[in-house]
Amino acid sequence: MIPSDHFVRFYNEVFKFLDKQGNGALQEYYSVISHHQERHCLELFKTKGLQGMYDYWEHIRIEENCDMTLDLQPDCLTITMNKCPSLSKAMDNDAGLCLKYCEHCPGWVVPLLKKAGYECQYNIIDRQVPRCHMRIYPAQNANPDRKK
Amino acid sequence: MRYRETGELHLDFHGATSATIDYLVERYGEAALHEIFFNVGQKVYKSIHEKLQRGDISGLVEHWQYFFEREKGVFKITKTADGVILKVSECPAVRQLLKLGLKPSPHFCKQTSLVNEAMCEHTPFEAKTEITGCGKCRQTIKKR
Repeated sequence: MIPSDHFVRFYNEVFKFLDKQGNGALQEYYSVISHHQERHCLELFKTKGLQGMYDYWEHIRIEENCDMTLDLQPDCLTITMNKCPSLSKAMDNDAGLCLKYCEHCPGWVVPLLKKAGYECQYNIIDRQVPRCHMRIYPAQNANPDRKK
Repeated sequence: MRYRETGELHLDFHGATSATIDYLVERYGEAALHEIFFNVGQKVYKSIHEKLQRGDISGLVEHWQYFFEREKGVFKITKTADGVILKVSECPAVRQLLKLGLKPSPHFCKQTSLVNEAMCEHTPFEAKTEITGCGKCRQTIKKR
């Protein structure tokens, strides 16, 4: 058994393998993850909207030991990852980091949110620093900054 | 021990492992599992592998003890004259899949057998993993 604590380091090796295959193998896999995640999230996000997303990531924050801030506003959810436990583990790893590791997150999140009727601005910031930022809002408010 | 996580467990990662294994076999064949799990066994678990190369099983035993306890598996580790046996009566990973209503990948236990083989490759030890039932197995590490 690979302990659940070490899943990230296994995943990191999977990404290295897929990246080596080329021909969009990584992107194809992100689509599969996104489809898989629909089972857990799509109905929740569609029916409860931003509150459902807040509930999902709040659960993840606790269970995955994330140093993460969630700010729920009526028309926008902002998630600031202050220290990503996933990338931190992938970096704290004798096998070395897959430099595309971070991309799996927007790779599954963005298409799923789109299916639920939401847009997402995802900022990875730096692929070797465990911080990122995402802003989610209903698709019709395609650029909330302009409304302010 | 090189990795010693604490805090909350996210056991659903076992479901992601099973789905990933299925995807890799379907798309790339079993050779993909071999390559990836050998990298896990020898690169991620480099410290355990290096100890085994020196004839020392203590790193592997400590790893098993810590993580099977942490995930509340039912298991017994027995040191033998020429190695060690891990008998798993209730695997926490399989238990979690069943709890989630997921059917374990037919290749799910290769994460164990291939990682064990990888850790023992080019060492004085050999690994044998016998699946004795659903969520049950015997992992034997012994001198060649």
